[in-house]
Amino acid sequence: MSRTMIEVNDVTMRFHMNNDKIMSLKEFVTTALRGKLHYDEFTALDHVSFSVRKGETLGLIGRNGAGKSTMLKVISGILKPTGGSVAVHGNVVPMLELGSGFDFDLTGRENIFLNGAILGYTEEYLKEKYDEIVAFSELGPFIESPLRNYSSGMLARLAFSVAAMVQPEILIVDEILSVGDAAFQEKSRARMMELMGGGTTVLFVSHSLDQIREMCGRVVWLEQGKVKMIGPAKEVCGAYVGA
Amino acid sequence: MKIKKIFAWTLAAYAALAVLLYILMGYQLHYRESRGDLAMPAAEAGTVELVQGAVVEQRFSAKIQRLRSVSVQWGTYYRPNAGTVTMELLNEADGTLLMSGSFDAAAITENGTTEIRSEEPIETAYLAPLLLRVTADSQPGSAVSPMMCLTAPGQDEDSPPFALTLNGAPTDGVLCFSASGEDYIWTGLHYWQFAAGFGLLLALAELFIWNRYKKGKHSYVINALTALEKYGFLIRQLVSRDFKLKYKRSILGVFWSFLNPLLTMAVQYAVFSSLFRFDIPYYPVYLITGIVLFNFFTEASNMSLMSILGNAGLITKVYVPKYIYPLTRVLSSLVNLMISLIPLLLVALFSGLLPTKAWLLLPFPLLCLAVFSLGFGLILASAMVFFRDVQFLWGVLSMIWMYLTPVFYPASILPENVVWVLDVNPLYYFISFARSCVINGVSPEPMAYVQCVGVALLMLLLGALVFYKTQDKFVLYL
Repeated sequence: MSRTMIEVNDVTMRFHMNNDKIMSLKEFVTTALRGKLHYDEFTALDHVSFSVRKGETLGLIGRNGAGKSTMLKVISGILKPTGGSVAVHGNVVPMLELGSGFDFDLTGRENIFLNGAILGYTEEYLKEKYDEIVAFSELGPFIESPLRNYSSGMLARLAFSVAAMVQPEILIVDEILSVGDAAFQEKSRARMMELMGGGTTVLFVSHSLDQIREMCGRVVWLEQGKVKMIGPAKEVCGAYVGA
Repeated sequence: MKIKKIFAWTLAAYAALAVLLYILMGYQLHYRESRGDLAMPAAEAGTVELVQGAVVEQRFSAKIQRLRSVSVQWGTYYRPNAGTVTMELLNEADGTLLMSGSFDAAAITENGTTEIRSEEPIETAYLAPLLLRVTADSQPGSAVSPMMCLTAPGQDEDSPPFALTLNGAPTDGVLCFSASGEDYIWTGLHYWQFAAGFGLLLALAELFIWNRYKKGKHSYVINALTALEKYGFLIRQLVSRDFKLKYKRSILGVFWSFLNPLLTMAVQYAVFSSLFRFDIPYYPVYLITGIVLFNFFTEASNMSLMSILGNAGLITKVYVPKYIYPLTRVLSSLVNLMISLIPLLLVALFSGLLPTKAWLLLPFPLLCLAVFSLGFGLILASAMVFFRDVQFLWGVLSMIWMYLTPVFYPASILPENVVWVLDVNPLYYFISFARSCVINGVSPEPMAYVQCVGVALLMLLLGALVFYKTQDKFVLYL
């Protein structure tokens, strides 16, 4: 019944701080030859362990730079941890940033398929849901014109509509996304709530403690890359506010 | 179940391809130009005026398994001549006449050659003591003279000796003659054994993979198949995006893929045919084949180079296997290549080349080239992530590479001390393979197939290894 969907096991993530300064072969060779090729290390995640069971909604809280986004990236496979391991059982749909891979020279229709493919939808599923996506985005005839003619609101609506058609086993959400005008914001919020409440396993990052309390059963509190506290939402949120 | 089906189809496709290859390669599968061919020595002097009763005899031997033809070079004393000259080739071991032919002396030009040719290849001539006898019935003053070279060629000790006699008198030097034929190719003799052997290996490999899969063990092949199924749709979307974007907002659109090689060819043809006058038959076809293939390589490698960096926005946001990006770039270049094949074939037809079955072999070098480009692109793409200098370096290197590849000049103009460059230039293998199919209308010898496949797979393996080892660090450097 309570199958483990995500298992984060002693994960450590270290970054080399001055990596980005060496971007040319010459610099690399000269500094390496001079023996000055040492890095300042920054530990974004420090021996973090927790697990998420099937159907659970787990919240992730912490201050800016506590390692929440890094944790999500490690779980969704974008980053490979320096140490430890992550086991994910089921398909993950990360809703980290909307509109990944949108191409501004292609039409809305073409972008729905492109973006959908990137998010891991199958062709049949997209074809089936196409009308629903267009209807949800309220773009109407604009769907056939290239994205460079879109307003930012239209872009956000299209991106949300594609992303919100997911039927994932594991949903990773970085802040509840509400975009567009007031009416659409309400609609997209409702859609997010519907998705998150629908029995899927959800990993949810938010700065809004109200939302966390409302949505999550358990909460992980990260501070400076370490798990500060893990437990029922009310207790952890209470401690977090007090800190 | 699906995997079983795929495996069955793979085997069936293999069998079909093996048969198809046998048919398409035809003659070239079994024979190649003999390595024992005797080349015409440089003409240094005339022998005798070949009047009635005069005899020029050259004894020789050659390591030619299937002798086809023998030629003699003539001098005319720069005057009109008359009469008939006769060439005879005898096997001195048993005294049989292998071939003979008569030629009108009036038609012979200064330094021209006459050739006797056997329709049925002569298989008994290998290392046999051969005698080439040249006679004529001309009158003095209107007779031609076979040319000779004053220094005799070096030869093996175990083969029957070369000897030139003029009117029965032994003479130093050698007649200006050449002999050519074919040798059997080992692979051709054993083609079906080879085909069956590889088929068996394939079947065994499939059985092995299937067994592992049923036991639930990790298997790269199964993983690759499932990835292909899972990401096939994404690959198609990305390729179609590349393709749509390439010519979006240009008036001629896709037509440019068609026009580009034609225009490049026209310019280079205009420049090189008037400036250098290379002696290449079907020069426009020679040019456009080189251009189309080399352009594909540069386009694919340049696009792969930027594939990781250019998709940084995606790579840092969504997990997709990273090899997808270089792969789609090579695939979209491949689509372009398909389009530029149309002008290539048109130029070939307009130059008077008739389609032969060897044209159907053209996908082979192209596919090998694509695999090679993918391997190379994987290396470039990962190098580019760590060192942004690579793009500038590659710009220069690819130019050097182009000049080192016989795209617009014949391979024969390279000085002898740099000929080795061709042997280590993989692109030349693919290009000369394609040229052999289109221009000569015949399949290259089996060795060329092995070289193309070998070079392509080696590069893919190398590229995959480099990419696999570095891909986890990409996201940190983007």
